[in-house]
Amino acid sequence: MEPMTLRICHLYPTLLSIAGDRGNLMAIAKRAEWRGMRVEATEVGVGQHLDFTQFDLILFHGGQDKEMDVAARDLEGKAASLRDAVEQDVVVLAVCAGYQLLGRYYEPFKGPRLEGVGAIDLYTTGGGTRFMNHIALECDFTADGPHTLVGFENHSGRTYLGAGVRPLGKLIAGSGNNGEDGGEGARYRQVYGTYLHGPVLPKNPWLTDHLTWMGLRHRYSDVEPLAPLPDGAEERAHRAALAMAMRQRGKMTALEATVWSR
Amino acid sequence: MGEPLAGTIQQTTGTVRARRRPTRGGPLARTRLALALSAGKLAGKTGRMLKLGGGTSFPGIVARRIDPTVLRKVVGASTARKIVVCGSNGKTTTCRMLAAIARAADQRVTQNRSGSNLLPGVTAVAVNGASIFGGLDADVLVFEIDEATIRHAVPEIEPDVVIVNNIFRDQLDRYGELYAVAAALENMIRALPAEATVILNGDDPLVAGFAPEAQAKRLYFGIRTEDVGTQVPEHAADTIRCVRCQHDLEYTNAYISHLGAYRCPNCGYARPALDVAVTRARLSPDGVSEIAVETPAGTVAFGLPLPGLHNVYNAAGAIAGALAMGLDLGAVPAGMAGLRPAFGRLEDIQAGDKHIVLCFVKNPISYNTTLRTILQRPGQKHVLSVHSNAETDGEDFAWLWDIDLEELAPQLASLVTAGKKAEELAMRFKYAGVPEETIAVIPDRPQALDAALANVPPGGTLYILSGYTPLHELRRVMQQRGWVAPFWEE
Repeated sequence: MEPMTLRICHLYPTLLSIAGDRGNLMAIAKRAEWRGMRVEATEVGVGQHLDFTQFDLILFHGGQDKEMDVAARDLEGKAASLRDAVEQDVVVLAVCAGYQLLGRYYEPFKGPRLEGVGAIDLYTTGGGTRFMNHIALECDFTADGPHTLVGFENHSGRTYLGAGVRPLGKLIAGSGNNGEDGGEGARYRQVYGTYLHGPVLPKNPWLTDHLTWMGLRHRYSDVEPLAPLPDGAEERAHRAALAMAMRQRGKMTALEATVWSR
Repeated sequence: MGEPLAGTIQQTTGTVRARRRPTRGGPLARTRLALALSAGKLAGKTGRMLKLGGGTSFPGIVARRIDPTVLRKVVGASTARKIVVCGSNGKTTTCRMLAAIARAADQRVTQNRSGSNLLPGVTAVAVNGASIFGGLDADVLVFEIDEATIRHAVPEIEPDVVIVNNIFRDQLDRYGELYAVAAALENMIRALPAEATVILNGDDPLVAGFAPEAQAKRLYFGIRTEDVGTQVPEHAADTIRCVRCQHDLEYTNAYISHLGAYRCPNCGYARPALDVAVTRARLSPDGVSEIAVETPAGTVAFGLPLPGLHNVYNAAGAIAGALAMGLDLGAVPAGMAGLRPAFGRLEDIQAGDKHIVLCFVKNPISYNTTLRTILQRPGQKHVLSVHSNAETDGEDFAWLWDIDLEELAPQLASLVTAGKKAEELAMRFKYAGVPEETIAVIPDRPQALDAALANVPPGGTLYILSGYTPLHELRRVMQQRGWVAPFWEE
C-alpha cells in the first residue's frame, strides 16, 4: 500500500523565520518519518501566488515589523486563495506575525495599518511594551481531553478575537493575546493561531500529532487516529518548559530582575 | 609609538583630549572616588582569594555603588585613546587583536577581558587599571561593549574610535528584535562628535548603512578577494533584503551569512568602497592563515594563527581600529603572531591523557561557524553540549532550531547534554537524527564533564559546545583540576 502523504506549504520560509521557526516543519516531518508517512513540503515565497487549497497544512511563521510589511504587501495576491483554503478546512499553523496577518488587520504602535488576509475574525494593535516570557496554556479541543501547551512569547501586538473565534487555550502563565482577557491564540475551523514563537511543536508533540491528523483527514476520507510514539525526550523538555513558565508567572518579561533592564 | 598614519586622525586625537577635563571636584568628591576605587579593588581581590571567580564584574558593581560616576571620572581624566568594540559576533577577539597590535607598537594597554562586557565589567576596567586617586597608567583603553549596554556605557566613555563588527540575531529576548539593536547602535553613532571615528563593517548591509548623516569620520572594512566566499548566502542568513527598499539583495560574493559584496538591483544600494580591505585570505583549518589587508597607509601582510573566516573579519576590524588610533601598522604582524584563541574560542586544553576543545557558541551564526570548523577535522566526535538560561545567556532557545546539528549527528561518537537546558538540547538532537537512547542527559555541569570524558579513549578529544554561563562553570572545574589557568590571568 502507498504510504500516506501530507502536503505542506511552508509560507515565506526565508522572510518569516525569525527564530528557529523551521523547527515546526522538522517536528512534523520527523514524526511522519517515524510513522512511515511521507511529507511533501513546498516553499512558497514573495510573488508566488498559487492555489492554497491543494495543500493539507500551511505553516505561516513570525517576523519583525519590516518583514511583516513585505509579507503584507505580497499577501494581497494570496489572500483570496488562503481564505478558500481555510474554509475548505486546510490546516493552518499561524505564529506571531503569521497569526496577526491572517486576521483582519494589524495596526502597529507607529506607522500605517497593515491589511491582513481576513481569513479569521481578529485584529491586532501594537503596544508600547513587549511580552517576553515563558508561557503555558491549557487547551481543550482534542478528542483525548485537555493538554498543556508550553513555549515562549515575544510580542508587542495585542490581539482581540471576533465573535466566532475561540482562543487556542486558557492561560496558566504568561500574557497571551492581549494581557487582559486570559486567552491565548485563536482557533477557527482548522486554523491554529498562536504567539508561542519559534518552534512551538517540538515541545508539544500532542499538537504536532493533532495537526498532522487533521491534515491527513483533509486529504484522505478515512484516517484512524495516529498511533503514539515513544516521547520521553519531548515530555522531559515539555515538563522543563512548564516549570520555567510557572516560575516566571506574573511577570511580563523574563528579564525584569536583571541588571541591565534597570 | 610610530608615526601617525593620517594627519587628520592625529589632529582629531588632539581635539578630543582638549575637550576632556581632568578629575575635579572638592575634597569630598575626590574622597568618594578614592573610596569607590579602593572598595572595588578590594572586592576583586577578595573574590579571587575566596575563589569566587576572577572579579571581572564584581569590582565594577561595588565601585559604582559607592560612586556611580567612577567610570566617567577615571576615563575622562585619562589622556589615553579610547576605542570601543561592539556588534554581535567577534567583539572579544577583535579587542584581543587590537591590544596585541598596540602592545607590539609599545603602547600600554588596559582593557576589559574575558567577554565581561556589561556595565559592571566595563567599569571594572577603570577600577582595576586606575590608582586609588583615579590615575590611569595607559596609552590605549580598549572596551568591549555588549549591545544592551551601549547606550549607558558609550556616553560615559566618550570614545575616540568605535568599531561596529556586524549584526546577527543574538538572543532575541534580551535585545528585542534585530532592528532594535540596529537602532540603538545607529543612535550611538549619531551622537559621536566630528572628531571621533566610526569603523563599520562595509560587508554587512545593515551596518554599512548606519547613520549616513552622522558627524563622525567613517572608515569601512571588509573582504575583497575571490580566495573565500560563495555565490549565494547560506541558510539562516539574517538580512538579505535591502535596508532601503526591502528588495532582495544580490551578492557577487557572500562570505559569512549576509556578509559579503552585495548590491540591490532595485534601488542601487550597494556595498560602499572599502577603506580597509582583505585582499588575500589563504585559510588554514588549524595552522596559520595567510592574510593581506590593504589600507590607506599601505598593505599589511601577516600570518593569522586563529582559524576560520570570522577571524579574518575580526583582524580587518582591528587593523582599521589601529589605523584610526594612529598606531604604526608595522606592528600588525608581530601583534597577530602572538595570538592564541580567546577563552573558549576553539581553545585546546590538555586534560590528563585526553584533549578538550572548548567552544563558546551563543547564536546560530557562531554555532554554525564553529560546527563547520570542527566537522573539517577527521573522525567521529565525542561531544558535550551544554546551555543554561542564566541571565547572560538569554531565556529563549528557539535558535537551537536554526543550527545545523543534522550535519554533526552522523559524526557523533558520543553525546552528553547538560545545563539547565539539558532536556531541550536532548530533544533537539533527537530531531537532528540522534537516537534518544544514546543521549546522556546530565544537567549538573561537573558530573556531565566527567561522564563525557569517560566516553573518550586515551589520546582522544572531547568537543565542548557551550553557552556563556556553563562555559565559566566548566572552566572553573578544569581550573581546580589544574588543566587551565584562571582566565583573568591570561
